[in-house]
Amino acid sequence: MSAQLAIDTSTSRTSVALIVDGAVKWSEFEDGSTAHAEAVPRLVKKALEIENSITQVIVGMGPGPYTGLRAGISFAQAFAWARKIELRGVCSLDAIVSEAPEYVAATDARRKEIYWASYKDGRRVDGPHVNLPAEVDGKVFVGEGAHKYGLCDVATYPDLSHFAYLSPVDQPMYLRRPDAVPTSER
Amino acid sequence: MSTPLVLGIETSCDETAIGIVRGRTLLANEIASSVQEHARFGGVVPEIASRAHLEAMIPALDRALADAKVSFKDIDAVAVTAGPGLVGALLVGTSTATALALALDKPIYGVNHLAAHISVDYLTHSEHIDPTIALLVSGGHSSILQIDDITSSVTSLGSTMDDAAGEAFDKIARIMGLGFPGGPAVDREAQSGDTEAINFPRGLTQAEDWRTRPYDFSFSGLKTAVARYLESTPQYKRADVAASFQEAIVDVLLQKSLAACKATGIESLVIAGGVAANSRLRQLAEQRCSDAGVRLRIPSPILCTDNGAMVAALGSLMSSAGRAPSAIDFSASSSLAVTSVSV
Repeated sequence: MSAQLAIDTSTSRTSVALIVDGAVKWSEFEDGSTAHAEAVPRLVKKALEIENSITQVIVGMGPGPYTGLRAGISFAQAFAWARKIELRGVCSLDAIVSEAPEYVAATDARRKEIYWASYKDGRRVDGPHVNLPAEVDGKVFVGEGAHKYGLCDVATYPDLSHFAYLSPVDQPMYLRRPDAVPTSER
Repeated sequence: MSTPLVLGIETSCDETAIGIVRGRTLLANEIASSVQEHARFGGVVPEIASRAHLEAMIPALDRALADAKVSFKDIDAVAVTAGPGLVGALLVGTSTATALALALDKPIYGVNHLAAHISVDYLTHSEHIDPTIALLVSGGHSSILQIDDITSSVTSLGSTMDDAAGEAFDKIARIMGLGFPGGPAVDREAQSGDTEAINFPRGLTQAEDWRTRPYDFSFSGLKTAVARYLESTPQYKRADVAASFQEAIVDVLLQKSLAACKATGIESLVIAGGVAANSRLRQLAEQRCSDAGVRLRIPSPILCTDNGAMVAALGSLMSSAGRAPSAIDFSASSSLAVTSVSV
């Protein structure tokens, strides 16, 4: 039996799912852009009550607002380390899907920007990048960031049922460097 | 029950630190610092610190367990700094800690960074820590505290109205071109200087201050005085300025701490926090406490700066005292009050 614990904190929604033998057995989410660090352990505790023998942890590596994103990744890497099981990172945008053959998935990057990637026939063809919404070409948009800037009607979030099938990513996707100016350049 | 084995995690600023203690015995004190990455910015950049914590965490955990020669499954409880500190940095620690606690189904203690600084003395000296007066001095804090019970009752008697003592060291070091972090740099430079060469002001020590805010500090006037002195004295002796500036800070810290001991009748003083590693503070504290008949305890320098052992020590004390663990979804707080020992 495989029992994957999937966690995503790349958007204002904290999602946790239990994927047993490839199918979602349980999933829940909590909304709140500053609540990830509390929501993750609360949701994982519920997941473990259903299935405690986790065989792999899969975590969304973003892109996403840094602090919330790191709450999920920190938790995931520590849980996998403590249980001595495999940790797999995935690109969170890859789990925001559309039925359209070509689309752009976009999440909120704050500072009036979006994190985005474009997809064609189920494959990522460009991105992830961070840009102003006006700088991104596309006909069909999905995701919380696209919704925030009026590019689609409903906000959708990473769907963890895809997590087990996404290509691996081994580093957090920050896409921006920290804001800081060396004293010598001030 | 046997003495608990506690793992402590500290990530409130720029050190990713793991400590493992069994009762009073320190088994591991692993510290990965990102301080070098911040040096060219003249101070800690929160986002750089947070990214570094995430990268450093698992290797630090591995090294700590190897040093302690224990297996993770033997850990009885996990303790973590829940605040105060940089929120992005704190959350890497708390998220790691909650994962470890859930993975092993062990209790978690979200504890106060400042109380942890004081409780680390428990690993150095065998006597009970409390009751005591504590002088807590670091880059972010300067407080005089009354500790009746380190696991539950901490009262703030006074604190800084402006800069923390460590911050004053950083700022003066920057003006004098001594580098970052400023504390060790000023301490080194002051070794060959005259502490009485320049009479820099002692903040909040006028008669009126002693009456209305005897245990509060102010270091911004001192900082301005040093800056003015440097401007008006182009031929200044760097070592003398460093020594006299350091003396002004250390003098006022000790005057007020000993006044608190006298007023409360508590004949014990613990000095903790990064600035407690300052050699002049340690030296003068010994002299003045001995003159005043106050028992002085200062943790060894490596345990004064931010570390995980202090967090583990407080977790261990909480566990031994039978204090209730934190909820698994406790909130970290960047401004956690010094009077909240745990969350």
